[in-house]
Amino acid sequence: MKKQLVHIKGTKEGLVLRLDDCCAYADLIDELENKVSEGGIDNRVDVQLDLGYRFLTEEQKNDLIQVVEKSGKMHVQNVFSEVISVNESNELLLASKRDTYIGIVRSGQIVKAAGDIVIIGDVNPNGRVEAGGNIYVLGKLKGQVHAGVDGNKEAIIVASHFEPTHVYIADQIDIMSNEKPFVSQHVDQIVAFIDQKGVIAYERLQEARNLRPLLNTIQGGS
Amino acid sequence: MGEAIVITSGKGGVGKTTTTANLGTALALQGKKVCLVDTDIGLRNLDVVLGLENRIIYDLVDVIEGRCKVHQAIVRDKRVDEKLYLLPAAQTTDKNAINPEQMKSLIDELKREFDYVLIDCPAGIEQGYKNAVAGADRAIVVTTPEISAVRDADRIIGLLEQEDIEPPRLIINRIRKNLMNKDDNLDINDITTHLSIDLLGIIIESEDVISSSNKGEPIVMNPNNKASLGYRNIARRILGESVPLMAIEEDNKGVFAKIKSLFSR
Repeated sequence: MKKQLVHIKGTKEGLVLRLDDCCAYADLIDELENKVSEGGIDNRVDVQLDLGYRFLTEEQKNDLIQVVEKSGKMHVQNVFSEVISVNESNELLLASKRDTYIGIVRSGQIVKAAGDIVIIGDVNPNGRVEAGGNIYVLGKLKGQVHAGVDGNKEAIIVASHFEPTHVYIADQIDIMSNEKPFVSQHVDQIVAFIDQKGVIAYERLQEARNLRPLLNTIQGGS
Repeated sequence: MGEAIVITSGKGGVGKTTTTANLGTALALQGKKVCLVDTDIGLRNLDVVLGLENRIIYDLVDVIEGRCKVHQAIVRDKRVDEKLYLLPAAQTTDKNAINPEQMKSLIDELKREFDYVLIDCPAGIEQGYKNAVAGADRAIVVTTPEISAVRDADRIIGLLEQEDIEPPRLIINRIRKNLMNKDDNLDINDITTHLSIDLLGIIIESEDVISSSNKGEPIVMNPNNKASLGYRNIARRILGESVPLMAIEEDNKGVFAKIKSLFSR
């Protein structure tokens, strides 16, 4: 008997379609089409695709999803793969990196980082810091900051002296004005973050631990 | 081999030209051979402030384009004997007439002959600024106690830090004593912490500076003026002396005001 290229498995999270990662792509598509058009499913179900060690481009992944969803009975929740391209890996590596800038970010200057950035110095008015991750300013923050430029809403901005003109996190913008009582009353040691309502909020630096517990990477204090 | 210092500010009207004229004269009075270079092509006025306007025959662009030799274009100031010279800017063309490489080789040539070459930079951060900075070894940033001038100084310091020169130093110009103590005004401390560069000196506002410039005579020629003293102190600091910062005291109170302040305490 011919080896099965598509295995359907039931798990707690729903159906998983495990696709063979050694056969030809065209064969796989053919068999997948046959499998999903077979009857036996009454309601619409969520499924997950497991590609194993096969590398597929985004278009190929979309083609697979279309094939599965064509029947109208299945909805693809997730696509798993054991492999990523070198490019993607490098991007991930950059995004998890922490950069350090020593000096003053002066008017007209832009400092960019793919991951987190620590500024040892001030950010002067009209100076700008952009980071894919979090921004930590050890000096005075008086310019513009954009954390989570690629859309990371979990990103935070921390400054020892917090007096920026514009705060951006992911796609949110906050223009600083005197109407922000919290900020005007406590300019020292502030953390800016996106709260549950989806807008930028401010807290004492000490609250960061409760707001973003996942940022903690070390156990200590014993 | 001399040293080339560019005097710049970003913003216009803060006193770059006045500072260049006065520092140059002060250095010459200290016995140094100084050449002032006006790079504000098209809007030259260093010659006017020095009172040398009517002695210009050739200019900077003539030298760079090879129409004359450097020593033919340089104008000597007769008041400071054999020490102070000016290379005037051209007035009939614009800043794109020269490029940074040409400027650098010209400044290098001048440095062989003079102890100090002071380059008066035009306002802005475009071609004129790039030309002026090209040949400099050091930079002096001039600002005034106004937020707009301080912001522009911040920008220009950022640009200067990208250049291959020593860290720039700061002159705060046009300080008004009666405004310094009020809350809404920037004081010297605010400005130096904001810009965080070394303070080279302060110049106290004096009406005599303008009237003196109008006469074509730099204020440093007058030894009894506060602003003049400020420029002389800065010149001595450039020469490596350690001179304490001038005190800004309010000496304009009349007798009546003094009595009044005595009672109001």
